[in-house]
Amino acid sequence: MTVVVNTRDDFTLGNFRRVCYEGESARLGEKALRVMTLGATQKPATAAPGPQAARQARWAAPGVRLADGYLDAAVVRGILFARLASLVSGYAGVRPAVAERVAALLDGPMPRVPLDGQAGTGESRPMAHVLAGLRRDDLDEGEENALLGGAPCSAALVADAAIHARHRLGHAEAICALAIEGFRAPLGAYDEALDGLWGDAHETAALRALRRHLDGAGDGERRFHQAPVSYRIIPRVLGQVHRGVAAVEKAAAVSLRSVTSDVVYISDEMGRPGGRAVRSGGYHNGMAYPALNALSAAWADLALVAERQVTALNTAETSGLPVNLTAPGASGHGTYAYGWVANSYVEEARAAATPALLPSVAEDPYADVSSPTFSAYRRERRAAECLDGVMAILAIVSSQALFATGRNPAHPLWPVLSFVRSVFPPIDGTRERDLSADGAHLQRALGAAARSGELR
Amino acid sequence: MTVVVNSTDDFTLENYGRVATGGESVAIGPKAARTMADGRANFLRLLESDRTQFIYGVTSNFGPRAKITIPPDQQRAHARAPGFRGNWARGFGGGYLDERVVRGIIFARLANFVAGNSKARPVIAERLAALLDGPLPPVPFDGEVGAGEVLPMMHVLRSLRRDDLEEGDANPLANGSPVSAAFAADTALQAGHRLDHAEQILALSVEAFGAPLDSYDSVLDDLWGDEDEASALAVLRRYLHGASPEGRRTAAPASYLVLGRVLGQAHRAVADVQQAAKVSLRSVTDNPVYVFPDEDHALGRAFSTGGFHNAMTYPALNALAATWADLTLLTQRHVTAFRTAAISAPPAPGSADSARPSWSTADAATGLGALLVGLVDEARAAAMPTLLPAAVNDPQDDVSSPVFSAYRRQARAAECLDGALAILAAESSQVLFTCGRDPAPPLQHLLGALRAIFPPVEGKPRDLESRAERLVAALAQSAVTGSAPFGERGQQ
Repeated sequence: MTVVVNTRDDFTLGNFRRVCYEGESARLGEKALRVMTLGATQKPATAAPGPQAARQARWAAPGVRLADGYLDAAVVRGILFARLASLVSGYAGVRPAVAERVAALLDGPMPRVPLDGQAGTGESRPMAHVLAGLRRDDLDEGEENALLGGAPCSAALVADAAIHARHRLGHAEAICALAIEGFRAPLGAYDEALDGLWGDAHETAALRALRRHLDGAGDGERRFHQAPVSYRIIPRVLGQVHRGVAAVEKAAAVSLRSVTSDVVYISDEMGRPGGRAVRSGGYHNGMAYPALNALSAAWADLALVAERQVTALNTAETSGLPVNLTAPGASGHGTYAYGWVANSYVEEARAAATPALLPSVAEDPYADVSSPTFSAYRRERRAAECLDGVMAILAIVSSQALFATGRNPAHPLWPVLSFVRSVFPPIDGTRERDLSADGAHLQRALGAAARSGELR
Repeated sequence: MTVVVNSTDDFTLENYGRVATGGESVAIGPKAARTMADGRANFLRLLESDRTQFIYGVTSNFGPRAKITIPPDQQRAHARAPGFRGNWARGFGGGYLDERVVRGIIFARLANFVAGNSKARPVIAERLAALLDGPLPPVPFDGEVGAGEVLPMMHVLRSLRRDDLEEGDANPLANGSPVSAAFAADTALQAGHRLDHAEQILALSVEAFGAPLDSYDSVLDDLWGDEDEASALAVLRRYLHGASPEGRRTAAPASYLVLGRVLGQAHRAVADVQQAAKVSLRSVTDNPVYVFPDEDHALGRAFSTGGFHNAMTYPALNALAATWADLTLLTQRHVTAFRTAAISAPPAPGSADSARPSWSTADAATGLGALLVGLVDEARAAAMPTLLPAAVNDPQDDVSSPVFSAYRRQARAAECLDGALAILAAESSQVLFTCGRDPAPPLQHLLGALRAIFPPVEGKPRDLESRAERLVAALAQSAVTGSAPFGERGQQ
C-alpha cells in the first residue's frame, strides 16, 4: 500500500503509523504537485542568504555514534514522512521533483541517525543524516534550506512516542485492574459516581477503563475495609497519564501538519509574480519536548504506584494473601523478590523523568537557542522501558496472587491474564525456573505490545 | 462584599480570586444549606440502617488502623476523638504560606460540602466559612507531605471548633484535596499576569534589538497550526503594532526568531494550570464520599475513594516551572545579544551587511546583565519536577502528595523569571535610550512606567541595585494584582 499525500491534512497519526511501522510508501498526489509547482514559481529569485562553505558544512553531519545508539529505522521513516508536510504545502518553495526524491527515500534502506550529538538550533544536524542519500547536486540554496530546516524530527519523535504511549496506557490499565482483582480491593474507589464528583475528563476516562476491565467482578471475597492508598488513587494517577498521553497526541497531530520551514514564501495578495519571504523560528518545536517531559514524569509516577501495589500484594500482613504468594503446598520465596526488582526500575524511571530544558549551551551568537527534543525523546523512552519492567512485575505478582488463592479475575481480564501466563506461568514450585529471564520476556513483550497495540 | 456559594458551580477562579486575594467573605446560600441538610439526613438513615457497615472514619478507625471497627455505641465519641479535638498539626519550618493562599484553601474546602456529599451537618460548613472572617493560622511549608492533605489541613483548621462533632462531620474537613485546588488557583491567577508581563518585555526587547518582525507574521498562525502559538504571535503583534520598519535588522539570533513558539508553550502551560484549577476547585474529593439515593440504593452509599490525591495539579505546576525556566534562559540570551559586538554593532563603513542596523546596542549597558547567569541556573534547578514521594509512611498510606514541593518550586522559578524580566526591561530601555529610539506605541506606556523606577543610566550609575530590586518587586506584585507590570507611570 501507499499513502498518498495531497495536503497538510494528510499528515495524520494514522498515516504516520502506516508509513513508519507498516512500511508503506508515500506518494505525492496531484493536488500537492500543483501546489508545489505554483509555490516554487512564487519564490523570489533571490534565495535565502548563506555562504557556500556553510551550505556544505550543513550537509556534512558527523555520522559517528557517540554513545547511545541510533534512532529506530521506523522513526527515521517517520522523519522523512513528516518532512514532506512542509514541502507539499507549497510554502517551502521546493520543486515537486525534489519532494518526490524525498518520498522515494522511503523505498530504500534507512540511514543511521545517531541519538547523540543532535541538539542544535533547529534540526538541520539530524536532517543531514536522514537525507544523506538524497541527490542534491541540482538543489538551489532555498531548497537546501527547506530540506534541512524546520522541525520534522520533533514531529516524528513525538508521533512515535504518542502511538506507543496510547497502547502502553491501555495495557497499564488492564494490569492495574488485574492487580485490583489480585488484591481484592473494594470497588468503590472506581465507582461511576466519581466521574461527576471529580469532574475531570481524563480521570473519567481512567475510571471507565478500570470499570470496563472489572465488569462483573464480584464483591464477595473483597476486603471489608479500604485498600491502601495506591489502590484507591490509581484512577487519578491513570487520569494524569491520560492527560499526558493526550498532550503528546496533540503535539504530534499539530506538529505533523505544521509548515515549519525557516523561510516560507507567501504569494502576493495582489497576484503579482513573486511573493514575500517570511523568515521565522519555525524550526524550533516548542511543544514536543515539554509534552515528552510530562509523559516521562507520568510514567515514573505510575511506576511508583505500581511498585507500591506490588509491595502490598507481596506483604501478607497488608494483603491477607498467602505469605510470599506461594502456591498451596509449595515452598520458596514466590514473587517476593520481584518487589525489590521493581525498586530499581522506579529509581531509573525517576531519573529519566528529569526534564529536558532548553540547552544551556549556545553554539554562536546567532544560534543561541537549541532544541532539546532528542534528549526528551530518549528520556521518555527510558522511562517507558522502566514502566514496562514494573508493569511486568505487577502482572506477575497479580497473576500469582490469583493462582495462589485459586481465584479468577473478572471476565474481561481473562485475555490479559492468559497473555501474562503465556509468557510467565505461575510459580507452582514444581520445577527450577530462570525467573530473571522469564521476567525479562514479559517486559519485552509489553514493550512490543506498546508498538503493536496488542497483548499477545 | 460576600461570595455566596450554592453549588459546586460557584467554585470558579473568579470567586476564588475575590475570596483569596480580594478578602471577601463567603456565605452558604440557601440552596446549599438545603442540599447539605438533605445529604446529612440521608447519610444518617444509611448509618442507622447498619452501624456495623464499613464507613471509613465513622465506623472504622483511621489510616493504618482502618480495619479496626468502632462499636456502634462508641461511634459518637470516636467522632470527637482527641485526634480531632486537639491540635494535630505537626509540620514546621520552611516559612509559611501567604495568607491569601490559606484563605483560598478554606474556600476550596467548602466545595466538598455544598453538594451534600460530605455527610456533615450544614453548621460545619458555616463554621468553616466563618474562619475567613477571623485571623488565619500560619501554615508552614515544610513537613506537609503525606497521603492526601491532612497534614496542612490540620494547620488550616487549627481554630475551628471541634468539640461537638458528630459522626461523619470530621473527615470532610480534613480529607480530600483542597490544598491542591488552592495552589493551582493561586498559581493560575498569577501565571496569566506573569505571562503577559513577559510578552510585553520581550516585545520591548524585540524593539530594542531591532529584530525583524516577520517572525511574528500572522501567516504563521495557520502554518504552525497551533492555537497557543497563534495566541502568542497575536499578543506579540499587538504590542509591536506600529513598530517602525526603519533601520531594522534583516537577521536576528534564534532567541528572537523562536519567541512565538517558546511563548506558545508558556500559553499552553498557563492554560493547563488554569484547567487544573477550574476542575480542582469544584471537585468533591472527600474520603469517604456520600452519594445520594438512587434506584439501586435506597439509602444512598458511603464509600472510600482516592479523591484526596490530586494528580493533576503538581504536574501542571511542574510544567509551568519548566516553562518559566526556559523563558528565563531566553531572556538571558536577549541580554547577551545586546552585549555581543559581533551581532549588535553597526556595519563597517561601506559594508553592505544588511543584517545590522545603523546603530549599536553593545555600548548600552546597565551592568545588570551578569546577574542573569545565576537566575537562569536557579530557575533550572527549580524546574526539576516533583514526582510522587519515594518515602512511605505506613503500609496503608503508601503514596503521598508532592503538591507542596511543586508549588514552592514553581514560585521559585517564577521569582527567577521576574528577576530576569526586570533586567531585560532595564537593558532594553537603556538600548533604546542610547540609540535615541522609541518603541512601538503600545509599548510606550510600559517604557514610561519602567523608567519611572529605573531611569536610563547616564554618567556614573547610582542606586542601580535598589532600583532593579524595585523593578522585580513591582513585577511580583503586579503578577498577584493583575496591574500593569511596573504600575502606572508616575505612581512609583
